[in-house]
This record gives sequence, structure tokens and C-alpha cells, in this order.
Amino acid sequence: MTVMEHALSHDARPARAPARRIAIASGKGGVGKTWFAITLAQALAADGATTLLFDGDLGLANVDIQLGLTPKHDLAGVLAGRIALEGAIAPVPDAGFDVLPGRSGSGSLAAMPPGQIETLLGALARVPYGVLLLDLGAGLDAHTRRMAAWADTLLTVATDEPTSLTDAYAVLKLFAADRANGDARLVVNQAASQSAGRRTHETLARACRTFLGRDLPLAGIVRRDEHVREAIRRQTPLLTRHPTCHAATEVRAIARGLTNLHLP
Amino acid sequence: MRLKLYRAASVAEAMALVRAELGPDALILSTRRLAQGVELTAALDQADPPEPEPAFAPEPPEAPVAPPPKPLPGGPQGLGFHGLPASLAARLAGPDLAQSLRAALRFGMLPLVRDGPPLLLAGMPGAGKTLSVARLATRLVMAGISPLVITADGRRAGAAEELAAYTRLLGVGLVVACTPATLARALAQRQPDMPVLIDTAGINPFAEAELADLRAMASAAKAASVLVMPAGQDLGEATEQAEAFAPLGARHLLATRLDLARRLGSILGAAAAADLILTEAGIGTGATDGLTPLTPEFLAERIGPSPGPPKIPAPWIPAQTTVPLRKTPSPVTNWIRG
Repeated sequence: MTVMEHALSHDARPARAPARRIAIASGKGGVGKTWFAITLAQALAADGATTLLFDGDLGLANVDIQLGLTPKHDLAGVLAGRIALEGAIAPVPDAGFDVLPGRSGSGSLAAMPPGQIETLLGALARVPYGVLLLDLGAGLDAHTRRMAAWADTLLTVATDEPTSLTDAYAVLKLFAADRANGDARLVVNQAASQSAGRRTHETLARACRTFLGRDLPLAGIVRRDEHVREAIRRQTPLLTRHPTCHAATEVRAIARGLTNLHLP
Repeated sequence: MRLKLYRAASVAEAMALVRAELGPDALILSTRRLAQGVELTAALDQADPPEPEPAFAPEPPEAPVAPPPKPLPGGPQGLGFHGLPASLAARLAGPDLAQSLRAALRFGMLPLVRDGPPLLLAGMPGAGKTLSVARLATRLVMAGISPLVITADGRRAGAAEELAAYTRLLGVGLVVACTPATLARALAQRQPDMPVLIDTAGINPFAEAELADLRAMASAAKAASVLVMPAGQDLGEATEQAEAFAPLGARHLLATRLDLARRLGSILGAAAAADLILTEAGIGTGATDGLTPLTPEFLAERIGPSPGPPKIPAPWIPAQTTVPLRKTPSPVTNWIRG
């Protein structure tokens, strides 16, 4: 029985602390954001946090694709009023966390009016989970920006490419404008080595410190790992398929860094 | 943010490319040694046009946002605004403020020369010594001169790391030497014609033991000491601090935070009271630039009764200074001033 089934099996849900909201953004696409969100969700769940992964890439959702799921319901049905938000949540088999899938190619999701996204966020705020992960879309549209600002913690995923650094900085700049003391951290993905990853972090942190007057703590470094690509092609979570590869170990370390600090 | 990578044979050449293309406000984000030469990552963050109405109301800021900086003074407030000591204010009453400043105070270069004594920056905690050392080192590297940078700051957590972040970018070595003996050993590594910059721990000059420790360091290094002092303090405090540092034998003053302070009375009063030579002013937070010669003309513009038309910088002439002028200034000295 997943957490959701458990929660729904009781008529009156016990009052509980709201979920800790962690948004995952990158600005630029193709840096491994969705893969990281899935792997982090599984690592958090393995550490005992009840975790819901929300596919916040409203136009080009693909959390379910990467996980090889064929969900009966998704966010489009929720917003069309066909199903309650809880009803669209599906467990990920053998991964220990639940997912609220989006729908790729849905123009209506991407063009959601501002009032509707507030309603959606209001519903998400009430889900009975310890951690709510929001996998945000690439780009900086108003919905993405709103969801980033709504989160308790923003994890920005970047690689060492100049385009990725520039776009990650743009995300951090808007977040700094929306949240005066917001908690934004960096995940360096596809790093050639730990020291190369630290260099990437120092580069971006220096820009944030000087131009934005904000620190950018390092959430962690994930080195390039062929197992990641293989797991994505197999549509299987990395921690299920290659639980001991170094990328898996490094994402687990990031999950522990997040939970050690803030989870009860 | 505009981000660009530059490759060149040396850090100095790469920095010249950065400045030529991105201008003086560019920030060096990282430096990487390559098999041949170096790779610099530089960035510039352009000011944004005002944002259109947001699609949602941003959350109210969690902390009060600082008001935008007011225009720097000078202007209508005039001399009285700056809180100068009365005796100094009286001497600056003449019609030509720059001329009066030149007569009332001492101006000169930092005694930073290739083969001269090491330059030791001293001051209270938080005065801006480390950033000033980084700026001087940057200036030297951009002139193609590689300095020896030493930090004697063994007290503050992360002090050496802060300076190391700059020296790594510049590709120059950093030596940590926290005792007179290790400092003397570090200086033994000095190459001929290599200028030396020494960063020190901030001290309380009213505590005799701390001052004695710093004197021991300066004397082990046979260094020329420079007092680093932030602008915008209380005049009485600044004056007493400058006088308390006198046993160190510093003859020069480097003023910092001139972009943050609106009143310059404390700096000028302290320099006058302790008979210190005004040298340079730290402006801004970037390390690629940010030190401006503290000349009578510059000060006259900052504190004068009206901004007036922009002045063409006159060639710098040291007046009433006891600094022995070199007949042929070394390239470093020339460059420092230019």
C-alpha cells in the first residue's frame, strides 16, 4: 500500500505538517533535470520520506515516460475537473514514491490562466506527503517562475556548459527577485570529476555573489555516468537498475544533505 | 548575464581581452590553466529594463529591501556636510578647493615597487585589507607583473581561503605565513624584481599586545606599512585609530568603501591628524578594478560645493610629501599611478 492509498483509506486524514516543497529547475533543457528529480525522489523515499513527484513541466511533461508508466489519469484530467488531484496520483512500482503525471503536448496546461495555477498550488499544498518535489520545465515562463517561488527550496541543475551556466543564473536571478531570502542551491550534473564540479559551482556562485549579492550553496555534484543513460533508455529508475553506480551514490548523498537539514 | 570564455597565452592577455570586449565592469568567474596558456570565464550582468506586470503577485520580500543608493554627495551640501575637523575645514576655505587640499593634506603613491620593501596592509577588522590586496595584485598581473602575495591572517576563519580565491583567478602564488619567522622564510622565496603584498589580520590598535604582534611581523618583513581605513566612520574614532596605529610606522593611508560612505570627513581628518599620505580609494566590490588614485582633484569633486564641469585629470604631482621621488620611476610605480 502506498502512502497515498494509505491516506485515502481513511476518511478523516490526520492533521500533519505541510510537505516540504523542493522545486527542481535548470533554465536550459537537456541537463538531466527530470532524471535528477526522479532519482532524488527515489533516494528521499529510500531514506524514509513520503515523497510525491509532481511533473511541473506543463507543456512537455515526461516524468511518466522516463519511468515507463502508463498513467490512467494525469494533471490534464485534474484541471478539466474530471478527477480530484488525489485521484491522479499514481505509485511508481518498486520505487517507493508516488507521482502526479503531467501530459506532454497539452496546450491547455501550458496556457493555464494565473488563477488556475494558484488553485493547483493550493491543492498541492494539502497533499499528505513529507516531501513534494516539483520537476519544473525548461525555460522561464510565468508558471515555472511561480512554482519556483512557491517552493521552500530551489535546486538548480546545471552542467559546466556556458549555456547551462547562463540559463541557471537566469533562474537564480528571478528567484532572488521573487524571494528575498529564498533557499536556492546548486546541483552540478554530468561533471567530469568532483574537482571540475566544484569549479562549476565556484563559477556560478561567484556570479551570484557579485551580481545578486546572494550565496549559492552547493547541494552536490553528480559525475557523468554511462549507467544513467542506460537506465533512462530502459525506462527504469537508476536506483532500481544500478543502485551502486557513482551517480546513484552521489544523488543519495544530495538527498541526505537535504533531509539532514530540514526534515523532522 | 553575458558569459564568455577567453583563451590566451597568459592571464594578463586574457584579462586584456575581457576588458576590451566586456569593459571594466566584467567579472572574472574562473581561471583554468591549459596545456598552452589559460582559459578565463568572464561575465557581465546587464541592467534589466523594468519588468512588465508580473502574471502573479510576487511574495512580499521577507526582509526590508535596502533603498536605492542616494546620489553621492558633493553637490549642494558642500564642505559642512562632510564633518571635517574645524581646523582642516578652515584650511580648505580658499577659492580653489583642489589647491587647498593639496596644501593642507599629503598625497602620494603607494610605495609599491618591484625591488622595494614588501607592502604590508594593516587595519582594523573589516577595513578591506584583503580586497585591497586582491585589487593591487590584479593590477600588477594585468600589467604583466606577477607579485608574491602573502597572508599573515591566521585568526579569521577562511581569511586565507578568501584571498586564495582571488590569487587562483590571477594565477599567482599565495603563501600563508602567520609568525615573524615564517614570514621571513616566505620572503626568502621572493624572486628578484618581484613586488610583494602582505595581507594581515585585522587588529585592535588600542590593544598593545595585538599592535606589538603586528609590529613584529612588519619588522620581520622589513615592510612598508599602509593603513587601510574605511570611509564613513565617526571622525573621533577614525582619528584615534589612525593615531593608535602610529607605532606601526605606517606613512600611507588607503581609504576603502568610498562608494558606500557619503561623508569623507573622517578619512581626511584621520590623515591630517596622523600625518598620513593619502594614496588610493577603494570603490566598489569587484576585484578587476576598483582602486582610484586619491588625488586633490578627485577629492575636490567629491566634497566641493558644486559638481561643476567634469575635470580633465591633471598629471599627478606629489606635493609636500616626504616620499623620496625616484629619478626614474620603475615600471611598476609608473603603472600603479597610470
